[in-house]
Amino acid sequence: MSIGGRCLAIVLTATVLGAGLIGSAGPAAQPSPTPERAGQQAPASSVPLDARTQSPRNANYSIDVTLDHAARTLTGREVLTWRNISPITTSELRFHLYYNAWRNTRSTWMRGRARGRGLAQHGRPEADWGWIDVTRMRLLGVGDRLPIDLTPDMAFIAPDDGNTDDRTVLAVALPEPVAPGATVNVEVEWTSRVPRTFARTGSIGNYYFIAQWFPKIGVLEADGWNCHQFHTATEFYADYGLYDVRLTVPTGWVLGATGREQRITDNGDGTSTHHYYAEDVHDFAWTTSPDFLDLDARFEHPDLPDVDIRLLLQPEHAGQADRHIAATQATLKLFGEWFGAYPYDEITVVDPAWQSGTGGMEYPTLFTAGSRWLAPPAVETPEGVTVHEAGHQFFYGVVGNNEFEHAWLDEGLTTFATARALDEFFTPSQMSTRFFGGFIPWVFDDIPRSRATDGNRWAGYRRNARMDAQATPTYRYWPGTAGSITYNKTALWLHTLERHLGWPTLQRAMSAYYDAWRFRHPSPQAFFDAIGDAAGTDLRWFFDQVHGTAAVFDYGVAELTTRRATARGFFEGDRRPVFDADAPSTAGAYESTVVVRRYGDGIFPVDVVVEFDDGHVERERWNGRAQWTAYRYVRDARVSMAIVDPDRVLLLDVNFTNNSRTTTSRAATAATKWSLKWIVWLQDVLMTYAFFV
Amino acid sequence: MMRAVFDGVQRVLNAPALVAGLYLATLGAVIPMGLALHESIDTQLGNSLAADRMADGVDTVWWDEFTARSTGIERTFRPQIIGFAAVLSNLSAMADNAPPRGAVAALVIGYLLVWAFLVGGVIDRLARQRPLRGAGFFSACGHYVFRIARLGVAVGFVYWLLFDVVHRWLFDDLVRMLTRDLTVERNAFLLRMMLYALFGLLVVGVNLLFDYAKIRIVVEDRRSVLGALLAAWRFVRRRPGATLGLYLVNGVLFVAVLGAYAVVAPGVGAPGVGMWAGFLTGQTYIAARVFTKLVFYASETAYFQSELAHAAYVAAPEPQWPDSPAAEAIGRS
Repeated sequence: MSIGGRCLAIVLTATVLGAGLIGSAGPAAQPSPTPERAGQQAPASSVPLDARTQSPRNANYSIDVTLDHAARTLTGREVLTWRNISPITTSELRFHLYYNAWRNTRSTWMRGRARGRGLAQHGRPEADWGWIDVTRMRLLGVGDRLPIDLTPDMAFIAPDDGNTDDRTVLAVALPEPVAPGATVNVEVEWTSRVPRTFARTGSIGNYYFIAQWFPKIGVLEADGWNCHQFHTATEFYADYGLYDVRLTVPTGWVLGATGREQRITDNGDGTSTHHYYAEDVHDFAWTTSPDFLDLDARFEHPDLPDVDIRLLLQPEHAGQADRHIAATQATLKLFGEWFGAYPYDEITVVDPAWQSGTGGMEYPTLFTAGSRWLAPPAVETPEGVTVHEAGHQFFYGVVGNNEFEHAWLDEGLTTFATARALDEFFTPSQMSTRFFGGFIPWVFDDIPRSRATDGNRWAGYRRNARMDAQATPTYRYWPGTAGSITYNKTALWLHTLERHLGWPTLQRAMSAYYDAWRFRHPSPQAFFDAIGDAAGTDLRWFFDQVHGTAAVFDYGVAELTTRRATARGFFEGDRRPVFDADAPSTAGAYESTVVVRRYGDGIFPVDVVVEFDDGHVERERWNGRAQWTAYRYVRDARVSMAIVDPDRVLLLDVNFTNNSRTTTSRAATAATKWSLKWIVWLQDVLMTYAFFV
Repeated sequence: MMRAVFDGVQRVLNAPALVAGLYLATLGAVIPMGLALHESIDTQLGNSLAADRMADGVDTVWWDEFTARSTGIERTFRPQIIGFAAVLSNLSAMADNAPPRGAVAALVIGYLLVWAFLVGGVIDRLARQRPLRGAGFFSACGHYVFRIARLGVAVGFVYWLLFDVVHRWLFDDLVRMLTRDLTVERNAFLLRMMLYALFGLLVVGVNLLFDYAKIRIVVEDRRSVLGALLAAWRFVRRRPGATLGLYLVNGVLFVAVLGAYAVVAPGVGAPGVGMWAGFLTGQTYIAARVFTKLVFYASETAYFQSELAHAAYVAAPEPQWPDSPAAEAIGRS
């Protein structure tokens, strides 16, 4: 965007901010972005100022925060300008205080973690824990009215589970209700301690990744506040807005954040303030460390907007810079071509410090990747996580679904698209493992990874297929298996749809969904409608099963028999049935029967292919509804094999081995081949432990 | 030292029956479990076309289904068994103190007991440098077995101490403490390598001592295990360079065997001739491992004997296997 365009952006920003204000607050109360920047270098607007593509910009923050590295604390002040875009009036505001999830071991997040993964986190040393304390909250005055102190009216609430030990949601009563369309300005001051990483936010050594760090307002919807407590299996949900943030950190430290850096001011006291500005985003995250390698690249495409790529890389991964950048560029290209353009003109890739626990997480215009020091080229590290998190810029960043309740809408869609993208640009991709404390990688050169199963994480899904119905609000999933339902199941059913409807149809549907819901909060039904519209058919039968229930799909060949088409029995004679010991068949020499069965409770139409000795192939279409169906053939050749769902359209099928049956099994050959390999392995075990004798 | 190595290699070459016998014992020990796994794979593949895919290559979908249903030894049927990954996974498991469990652990224990029974005869054969026939060999095994068993108590205790206490302290507590604030994986890797080296040195030192204790029990026909241990300690202490150097050279030989297998180790492979060629390659590797282990014993025995006043000295009387009662009766008649 040109300078002129930037100035226009400032004017429009001022208009947007000012339009809904109840009145003008005093200078101290004014959200700082517009007036403060007016005489300074204009920020790069991140979004084309097309009214159709703009977000509502109803949750705008101006934040000043200082990091005290020695104490590992943040001291911050924010001015929130919030406009009520819901159809209801509210007499309170609700804020997320995510850092309080690690304030004690009785928080809802900690309880969920204990349920899902045990008590490992409970024993962490005192220094690891983090918290956030709001020290003052004021409703900024309108006109000559003085600010009103809201601090005494603050109270922690637990709308999801009533847990009185949870302090992740703060409610504050307002002196006057806020009607639809009205705006309030709230000033919040707080201090927090940065935890040793929990939930991918925190610090280790002099590496900081700071996310979910400021008092953040919830989303007011038609039925009230949607401001959930922090749960271990879910992420976040917020309205879009402008973020004007000044981050003070030790001088010389590299800092990356959501949006674009405007300038750096040396404060002369060993600290510097980095000024960042972002538009049309629903969150703000940042990272700082003196160790980052700060690299730049650019994404260019004939039909998509250019994007500046900033890569903050760990020095030990210096040799992997190209891999990070190539994966980011491939994501911007493929997702852009498939779904729609990335609307911002910058993206920051953060390579997290080793064992920081902050890898693989998405934030608007910034995400964390994750790699290993030894990263063989045929293995999808760092590409896999880079594509996934860059992909979240589209489904999470631009399309802002409620991750508390429908996390599959971004995680599942992105997992599906990640596998598809990797399949296009990252080949060959091989299976690998690690030895010696997980440091030494080993690549199985002759075991390629498959998009359908490995990319969509089929193994994880089939183990937990019945754990939760996807329609259950995500924060109510069983914590230990939530990922399987959120990520894996969605990717599998989307890939199933791709094979069922064809990629052009699904691509059109996802593109339409992306376009219709950019900078908005879609519901699952919006996604289903988009697919139904593109497919031109009613797919409720499918979504009701894969989303509405925990139904498991499993089709198989139950029987495969073939015999001479003659038999003892009574056959019609001239006037009455006569007994014949060996009545000849009129249609063929062999009678073959194939019985296919539905073992699961999920229903999906499947093809059945039956092949005969003479090479003849019969292809049947079964609607898959009955518990079983049988096909009978009388031909001059024996049936040699039968396959249900031969093209493997139904990737949700949890048992693929039973999908086929042959009359000439090679199981013994395969068993011999593999048991011989296993024997050598076992001999090696014996020889290894013979060391002790 | 190198002379001892060459001498050791020569002694093992001159004992092909010993190599063959120990190799066959290794093969024989695993055949029953191999057959059980074969049956299990065969059953689970059944009449499915997954059998074709597993026969011609690999079907990771079927493999995952198999793993999900598996119990017992089936749980060890993982991609890590393929080719050289098998060797790395076993070494890694040992280095990271992740011993096998269940039936495989029972097999390992049984195998070690068999080795404990045989080792006296093995060293005796290598020390004498001439065939003893089966009777003589097993007579020697029986002659030393209770001394080796008593030594085994000490061996078991010391290795338990090393792996259950020292290893845990080094690789759990110390590593956790030293790497807690590390943000550079490379540094953690180097630290781990140093700890492997340190722990390896401890294990090698203990192994060396026990090797010479066994050799002294056999070669000098020592009845006191404690005396043999002390004598072994004195021997190693007076010749640290030579004994450690010899161990190192043997270690290099071991690594060379691993290196050669890394080059030729079969991958997923296909059925038919290739499958059997791959198995033959694996068996050659296992035979080489047996050979290498015997060279360890032989070269250490040769070195120990070379340090004695009478190099060919063997204290124990040559075992005499009595005729059967029937033969004696015939002889008397």
